[in-house]
Amino acid sequence: MVSIDVKNLKLVYRLRQGFSLEMADRRVSGHSQIKKRGRTRWITALDDVTFNLRAGDRLGLVGSNGAGKTTLLHVLYGTLEPSAGTVHTQGRVDALFNISLGFRHEATGRRNIIMRGLINGWSPAQIDHHMEDIIAFSELGDFIDLPFKSYSQGMAARLAFSIATCMNPEILLMDEWIGAGDTDFQHKARKRMAELAEKAGIIVLASHNHGLLRASCNRFLKLEKGRAVLLDELPAAPLRNRR
Amino acid sequence: MPGALTNAFADLAEGYEKRRVWWALAREDIGDQHRRTTLGPFWLLFNYMTFAGTFIFVFRSSSSGSDHYPTYVAVGLLVWLYIMETITQAMTVFVREKSFIKGTRLPLTVYVMRLAMQSVIRTLYALAGCVIILLLAGDSIHVGWLLALPGVLLLLLATPGAILVFGFLGAYVPDSQFFVANIMRIGMFLTPVFWRLETAGGGVRSLFYHWNPFTYFLEIVRQPMLNQSMPLLALGICAIITVVLWLIGLLLLGTLRRKLVFVL
Repeated sequence: MVSIDVKNLKLVYRLRQGFSLEMADRRVSGHSQIKKRGRTRWITALDDVTFNLRAGDRLGLVGSNGAGKTTLLHVLYGTLEPSAGTVHTQGRVDALFNISLGFRHEATGRRNIIMRGLINGWSPAQIDHHMEDIIAFSELGDFIDLPFKSYSQGMAARLAFSIATCMNPEILLMDEWIGAGDTDFQHKARKRMAELAEKAGIIVLASHNHGLLRASCNRFLKLEKGRAVLLDELPAAPLRNRR
Repeated sequence: MPGALTNAFADLAEGYEKRRVWWALAREDIGDQHRRTTLGPFWLLFNYMTFAGTFIFVFRSSSSGSDHYPTYVAVGLLVWLYIMETITQAMTVFVREKSFIKGTRLPLTVYVMRLAMQSVIRTLYALAGCVIILLLAGDSIHVGWLLALPGVLLLLLATPGAILVFGFLGAYVPDSQFFVANIMRIGMFLTPVFWRLETAGGGVRSLFYHWNPFTYFLEIVRQPMLNQSMPLLALGICAIITVVLWLIGLLLLGTLRRKLVFVL
């Protein structure tokens, strides 16, 4: 059974400043998320976040810049470890974060598919099996044999999306990337995401694009300064303009 | 401490499962460094040959005294360059892999082994040059050379441990990167790569011979090549250094593997 259970999740990290001969900055920050002691600053990125997702749930993460959306995705993926609280995920997780993360710029698209596959733990036979599917879905055509660095943002996004979704992940985490593709591709991507969710998967999508979120998600989590509120419906206007 | 070690071994086990990844990445790295060149990785061979050739040519008369000087320099330089490159690269290994560490869930062992693999591949090209020099110097192939094998194995075994230690050092203490680079540059002259203990004339130089860990890693490979004897004392010292490196490396890996991402 695919599920995500997050309980009292807290993430605090230390931002260290190296030793320097400059005078220490003794001003007290007004921002409550940042605590300062000597040369170290502690940033509370997520504070007491609790929610559960079951098969078929598509969660939209909303909140202004720095609210903790990306951090939450990284915690769910497992690249960041919570400082307190628990995160239980069941199911094969794949993630689409910053597009350039985890791609080799000098290697061709094809080679990058192989590398990504190996990193995700696929066997060479599985990679071979899905290679043509991935290339076809990405619509990269002959570009697939050119180095990754020659791709436009949109092309890179298309490749990343194709790789991440072709192996039918049970849980898919996505961060604000979809705007990069053109309209046709966005349409195709939305369709594939719906298919994934229908196959009893879970999707978590962080975005500022409320139209997109409304079209793709059935639940919403609003993050504000690291704290979270679960919503059943998305407010009409962008959150930051409502205050 | 037991917790940290369990944690570290979990990372190692995951890294072993992902061995195809570091093998592929290491090959990719070698290719990347020489992309757009005609000679490709053979530049590694060429660089080594000019380096070794210059040393042999310049220092032969003054420092050699005894025979087999080309062998002495060729083998010593091969091991030294391997150590130097591995340590210098290890200082920045995690910083360079920032995008992968933040974007994927690969165990850190993958990056460590990738660098180790890369160092070995690079050294294999230089090894071809070393063999050429040995043949040109008129050293006939000797069964006694096989005695160098334990030394080579120990050197390879110490590599991942050293990468772990220097990798975490470089990530957590960024300044150390420049300090170590400096030490490695001077180390070439303080380590008996092209001078010998017999011609060192005692004094400070012999201190640099005896109290220098690099000396022993050079000797465990070089001595069997020169006089077909097993340098047991040096092997013992290197074995102890290897165990200590691994122990510190594993403790660092166990305690910091999940925290590393925050300092990058």
